Amino acid sequence: MDIVVCVKTNPDLEMVRVKDRVAQTEGVPYKIGDLEKNALEAAVALREAGAAAKVTALCLAEGNRKAAEDIKTALAMGADEAVVVDDPALADPDEAAVAAALAAAVKKIGACDLLLFGEGSSDNYTGQVGARVAELLGLPQIGYARKVEAADGAVRCERSMDDMIETVEAPLPAAVTVVSEINEPRIPGLMQIMKAKSKPLQVWSLADLGLEAPAPVREIVSNLAKEQDRKHIVFEGTAAEQADAFVDALTREGVLGR
Amino acid sequence: MERVECIVVGGGLAGLSAAYGLAEAGVEVMVLERGDYSGAKNVTGGRLYLKPIRDIYPELWDEAPFERPVARELVTMMAEGAHTTVEIASDRFTAGAPQSYTVLRARLDQWLAEKVMEKGAMVVPNMKVDELLREDGRVIGIRAGEDEIGADVVVVAEGVLRLLSSAAGLATQPKARHHALGYKEVIELPPGVIEDRWHLNPGEGAAQLFMGECTKGMMGGAFLYTNRESISLGIVVGMEDMRRRRDGTESWQLLDEFKELPQIRPLVAGGTVAEYSAHAIPEGGISQVPRLAGDGYLVAGDAAGFCLNALVTVRGMDFAVAAGHLAAEAIKRAKAAGDFSAAGLASYEGSLRSSFVLRDLETARTIPSFMENPRLFTHYPRAVARLLESVYTVDERPQDGLVKKAWKSVRRDFLNVATVKDAWSARRI
Ligand SMILES: Cc1cc2nc3c(=O)[nH]c(=O)nc-3n(C[C@H](O)[C@H](O)[C@H](O)COP(=O)(O)OP(=O)(O)OC[C@H]3O[C@@H](n4cnc5c(N)ncnc54)[C@H](O)[C@@H]3O)c2cc1C
Repeated sequence: MDIVVCVKTNPDLEMVRVKDRVAQTEGVPYKIGDLEKNALEAAVALREAGAAAKVTALCLAEGNRKAAEDIKTALAMGADEAVVVDDPALADPDEAAVAAALAAAVKKIGACDLLLFGEGSSDNYTGQVGARVAELLGLPQIGYARKVEAADGAVRCERSMDDMIETVEAPLPAAVTVVSEINEPRIPGLMQIMKAKSKPLQVWSLADLGLEAPAPVREIVSNLAKEQDRKHIVFEGTAAEQADAFVDALTREGVLGR
Repeated sequence: MERVECIVVGGGLAGLSAAYGLAEAGVEVMVLERGDYSGAKNVTGGRLYLKPIRDIYPELWDEAPFERPVARELVTMMAEGAHTTVEIASDRFTAGAPQSYTVLRARLDQWLAEKVMEKGAMVVPNMKVDELLREDGRVIGIRAGEDEIGADVVVVAEGVLRLLSSAAGLATQPKARHHALGYKEVIELPPGVIEDRWHLNPGEGAAQLFMGECTKGMMGGAFLYTNRESISLGIVVGMEDMRRRRDGTESWQLLDEFKELPQIRPLVAGGTVAEYSAHAIPEGGISQVPRLAGDGYLVAGDAAGFCLNALVTVRGMDFAVAAGHLAAEAIKRAKAAGDFSAAGLASYEGSLRSSFVLRDLETARTIPSFMENPRLFTHYPRAVARLLESVYTVDERPQDGLVKKAWKSVRRDFLNVATVKDAWSARRI
């Protein structure tokens, strides 16, 4: 069984500062998203358990000009090969374009029995890409996976639902999107990092995939949270008086006692 | 054991400069940096004297992400409630190729790390080296976590604390008395505001140093450098002075108190603190420079004590770049001769001695002990501020003539046994 893990890199969120309500990403290094690391770990664990033969990390650069460098972390974590799709026309793609490129790349990679994703990316978390790619490739998809097992031509997953755990099975090939409970991604040691350097890594353009530059289907008008008007009410008096006045105010606002 | 030709421990300016020179020459080199990226943990005041290193890697500097060329130099001497600022301006600071630039290390180091990678070196962030491996006195590689990697030569560029080199017995443990402690904030301000506040032409920068009251009698001073869209404001105090203090002052409070001074408040008004950091500075001078090369290793940058605080000029970054470069040169020679022993690497020390690095440190040999004189940080700045305060004072009392006013202060503050002694001890710096 061969596994392809779709891996997105995003600006290191811990280092992004917000100035005038705009995220400042200039000079912020990229790293592999958190859930993508879970997906990688799941794939490598399957290979180590003998359930998979090869793990390929597939990354769409999406404007990260150092994606081919950053994806080496996936190789250090245990992926056998890596493919980066890097094209200026995909510098800031919407989810449809991402899915189209990934689906085409998966086809070009060829052997893929299990396609793994993080449930959502660490930056935008639209949670669309896994399902879209599965649809484009005509694969069954299992979401919210907190456990993945593969045997006898099928994948069996535990799905983490709000109030229950669902166990489902799909025939391979299949696509699975994972959540963070699934595992604790390994931190590669220096030796792994050094070995990663000599693992195969290919960079493809859209033309290599036989795709045209996508026409965007979405336009971001604003992704800012709505600014809240504060009430600026100060309560005075004893603690009991303040509490009463506070509860009254909340009731007047319709927050309490509905 | 996995092997590479050269391991550089520490991806600061010294380590990256060494790696750049080595990678350029086709030496297989790997830089290990414990921070999330190069520059993540590095602190500097903020001014790089580029002039001494412009000819080292000349292709690099034109595109380096510097902040502003320093066009105005200001020194402020502070008494309690009074201060005097002197401005030193010269066309020569900026004409043609500016002599110094303000810098932010997060940006500068990351950029240099990228350049190093473009030359073919491996730069591995998030990788803390735990040990320098030794065999029969020779450094044979490093250990990081569970992984041991061998190398023909290790460049130790781990910065001021020398944890690895002292543990491996290559250097003595650093002592408080040879170090200062720096606290710094990067405070964001719009470029226009910066240019107005420091009377700068667009794009130009200022460097302002403060001496006297701000360090509460301790060795040290405060600094302010203007960046493109922020200022770097910090305070530096002698570690030993700080340690001996018994009044409950915590060192980190000094910067807050400094910012609250009425002279400083308007300079930082309206700014947003974007970054806070603290770091040690080697100030022991040439007497604290360890052995620079041995079997299988070289030491560069702060780890080698290459830092010079000459009261109004602070240098460490230019030394780090130059030393890294000379380390690379020495390693190239050692590689050509196939000899990475102390003898094979000995040319490193020789070239440092004929470069400005050890020459300037040698010239400044007496500065560290001269700076142990507390009057430098208390009496003199105060006296200057008070002298000019009195000259500029007009009140209802009958005024002394100008000369008399000044003479009174000069006699009181500058002509006594202590100051004459200070002048005598200063004659050699
Ligand atoms: C407050 C302050 C103000 C200063 N002002 C100026 C100034 O205005 N001008 C000037 O020229 N100089 C100034 N200096 C000095 C200057 O910053 C230093 O001399 C210079 O940074 C030294 O560079 P370096 O590469 O040797 O060390 P560093 O920049 O400290 O780099 C050492 C690197 O090694 C890494 N490292 C350490 N241990 C390990 C390990 N075990 N494994 C892996 N990596 C490790 C660290 O993370 C770091 O990145 C100032 C210093 C301070 C603290």
